[in-house]
Order: sequence, then structure tokens, then C-alpha cells
Amino acid sequence: MRVAILGVGQTSYEREKGISLDELVFEATKNALEDSGLNLQEIESVVTAGSDGLDGRAISNMTVSGSCGAYLKDEVKVSDGGIYGLVLAYLRVASGLFGNSLVVSWTKSSEVSPDTVGNLSFDPLYLREAGINPITYSAIQVSLYKHITGARDEDAAKVVVKNRGNALKNPLSHLKRKPSVKEIKSSRFVSYPLREIHIPPESDGACALVISSERWLKTRKKTGQKYAWIRGIGWSLEGYYRDEKKELVKLSSLRKAAKTAYKMAGIKNPAKEIDTAEVSDITAYHEIMIYEALGFCGDSEGIELVRKGVTEIDGELPVNPSGGILSSNPIFASSLVRVAEAALQVMGKAGERQVKGVNTALAQGFTWSGTQGSCVVILDNRI
Amino acid sequence: MSKELLFISQHWNIEFNHAAGETASVFFRAIKERKEILGRRCPACKRVLLPPRSFCERCFVDTLEWVKVGKEGTIEAFTIVYEQFRGLPKPPYAIAYVLLDGASTAMVNFLKKVDLNNLQEALERIKIGARVKVVFKRKRRGRITDFWYELLHT
Ligand SMILES: [Zn+2]
Repeated sequence: MRVAILGVGQTSYEREKGISLDELVFEATKNALEDSGLNLQEIESVVTAGSDGLDGRAISNMTVSGSCGAYLKDEVKVSDGGIYGLVLAYLRVASGLFGNSLVVSWTKSSEVSPDTVGNLSFDPLYLREAGINPITYSAIQVSLYKHITGARDEDAAKVVVKNRGNALKNPLSHLKRKPSVKEIKSSRFVSYPLREIHIPPESDGACALVISSERWLKTRKKTGQKYAWIRGIGWSLEGYYRDEKKELVKLSSLRKAAKTAYKMAGIKNPAKEIDTAEVSDITAYHEIMIYEALGFCGDSEGIELVRKGVTEIDGELPVNPSGGILSSNPIFASSLVRVAEAALQVMGKAGERQVKGVNTALAQGFTWSGTQGSCVVILDNRI
Repeated sequence: MSKELLFISQHWNIEFNHAAGETASVFFRAIKERKEILGRRCPACKRVLLPPRSFCERCFVDTLEWVKVGKEGTIEAFTIVYEQFRGLPKPPYAIAYVLLDGASTAMVNFLKKVDLNNLQEALERIKIGARVKVVFKRKRRGRITDFWYELLHT
């Protein structure tokens, strides 16, 4: 059964929002309901996605049960990145079990040291005590990627300038300043080859979507609203110990997820058929790696897309017109934000950051760091 | 009334006792007792897996054979850390993926005995493809930190 995104709700993204976790989630959920035109009584399913470790609460979906509209509803949580919440909600609705669903994800980074929780997310026997956390792990990946492809510091700088520049057009952005290339080049190395500025900020924020089946939509009065139809969706997981050299930067799970999503959407030439993409730029270099894994270019050709400006907001294939994770990073919600922003693009509701003539958009997310789990969603606005 | 927002500070202080299991126990005991690094060979794809696993996730079969791997290897990827992360060592330090001779998969650990204070100088020495040796701690506890890597040609 066909499934559409009817509405999108986000909070603004900030270093520290003075509100509590449940207040934060309430805001995003309320915004999504309002955007969709549905009221809570009509909602049949709620799927939440959050990290107990980052929330500092075991079974943290209970903390936000009221604020995500789950009171006496069929709520279920995935303890994974927000885009996996969409996967589960999509399956619940596409199967016909539910007519519609909310999908809600959040993180209040300001309440914890995310790097510490990140360290705890790695293997306790072999990796945790060997200095691995999301940043050092990403840096190790990037060192090999640079070695194989010849990607330079300047290429990463261009990605940062692009995304942080796009963020100026997004009123929800956390970082609202476009740094100069010179400033990026003098940014300190946190974990070589990654400079501080190549790494996303830590943000507070929440994101929510309302989705429904085509069949359920037909039972409602026509509103003339534009929807973002889920045309393709794919997800995949690679090895826990990703220790073979080629596997470290190949992003195999992303390649598999993209292949599944493209096949379902009937996409044969992604670079031509996709009008814009929102991807998980967990570092500036990762955005370039993702271009290759998504088939926007051949292997080792990602830097060419950057150098030629193909993925700039006015380029042939704009990537992260919202500003990406490099500008706003509500960690677990960041992958759902990619879907929300891609949906706004196909609905034509992205405001100043709207890319012209978008009919088909791609959203991509990882589980968190490590990039072992990936999900790809293809949206379009054709009825 | 004051509009000051309050924050309630709390700590998680929970002890976990992770079972290493049979395979990892043999691996860590070999490091501790004999300064040996042991991998496990998959009977189907023939890869020598490090860290050792009791099964191969790709072939989905039990691995049965222990293989002693070399105490020298090649750097496949690395990072040099300059940030103080909570719970991690005092910077600077280097971490490397090293493919030990005879193994099919690389093992992560610290790369020591290189002056990291000057990054450019450090990068002259730490390179992907550089050869390293395994150095064992004198007092070993059966942990991954019982050994580290050092550059071979210095
Ligand atoms: Zn095998």
C-alpha cells in the first residue's frame, strides 16, 4: 500500500534549549500534527526513536509518552536513529494494520556528554578501552578515505562552507554563521584528519512526521495539500567488527540500502533522477563518501562533485539544502530531520532553502556513528 | 518570582560485568600468559578473524581453528587525537587499525612511542602502509590495553 508523509514538525535546534525533554518532544509533535491537518484523535499509531543512553533514562519513551501523543495509543519504540522510526511506522501503515502514524525522535545533547555515551556504544572488550568514540572512529575512517581518494582538507572545507551557508536560510538552524575557508583551515585538529569545524555541533531538538496510507487518505475530505509519497525505502546493516580495510570506507550497508530503495522507486540513474538529497554529514568528509555510496558518482569521484559545485544549493544535485547535520545535530533525531527536510522540499514548503523544481528527493540516515547501519528513503510529490 | 531555569544533576554509576565468552577468554589469556595474539580461522571463507570470533557472520558457521598471528603488521588507518574526551586518555595519542601478519582483519589499538606534539612531524612517521610491531605491557591483566603498536623502522 502506498504511504505518504502528510506533515512535518520540528523544533528549532540549539545548544541548550531551556525546556525539558517532554516539553521539547511536545513542541515537535504539535507542529507535525498542525502541519498535517490531523488532530490527535485521528492518529492510530505512534512510533518513537531515541537513545536511552543519551536521554539518561531507561525506557525513555515513557518520559515522552504524553508529549508524543501516545496516551492510550499503540506506541512502539525503536532504540535507533530516528529514520528507523520511519521504517517501522512505514511498515505498520503499508501493511494496512494502521491507517496512519506519528513518528517522533529527539535528543537533548545538552543534558549529557554525547562523546561519552558514544564511547559506551562501542564494543566493551575490544574498542572502548582503545580510545574509540564516534569522533575518533570517524577520523580513522576518514584517514583511509583520504588515502584512497586523495580528498583534501580543502574539499572538506568546501562541504562545511556549503552546508553552513545553506543553514543561514533555515530559521531552525543551530549554527547560523558561515565560516570562511581560511577560518576552517586554521580550525584545530580534534582527531586528525578531523578539525573541530569538520564535526557537527551537539544540539537539542526534536522532529516528528505524520504519515498515512493512500487508502486512509481517501476516507478524508480532500484538502489540496501536497504530500511527500514514500516511493522507495531500504535499510541494511553490515558487520559489528568492520575490520577489513575495504569495508571501512565502502559504506556497504548504505550501498545495499540505496540499491533496495532505488529498485522500489524505479530509479536507474540517481544522479539524474534525484532533484535534491538530505544526507547524514556526520563529518564533512562523510558527506563526500555518501555521494559515492549513493551512486551520485563513481567510487573516488565524490571530490569532483564538491570541486565542481554540483551539490551546492544552486548546483545540479543540491545536497543538504537545510544545512545538514554540520549545522544542526539533535543526534538521534538527525536522521529523521533528513526525511523531514526532504519531505518539505518535495512539498514545496522549504521556504528560503527551497530548491527549485524538486519532484524527487532522497533522505539518508545512519544508526548513529560507526556508519554500520544505513537507511535510504526516496520521496516524490506525484499523485 | 524568579524565572531562573533549574537543572537537576545526576550520575549513572552502574557496574557491568560483561562476559567475554570462551573465544575471547582464550584470546585474552594468550595475551596475558604467553604474549601471543590468536585469531580464529573460518572453515568456509578461510579468513583469519581478529578479534577472534566463535563464528563467522558471513558464512554463518562455527570457527574451530586457532591461528597464531604475527607480532608485526601494517597500518591500515589511524587518527591522532588532540581532544580530551571524558573517560579516554590524556591527549595527544594515536589509534591505529593494524593488519597483523597472517590475519585477515585489522585490530584497533593505540600506537605509541611517536612524538605527537608536532602534527606535521608525526605525520612524516605515521603513515598508512607503515610497518609496526606489537609491544606487550609488563604487567598484563587480560585486556586489550595489555598491548599496543610501535613503529618498526624509526
Ligand atoms: Zn567465513
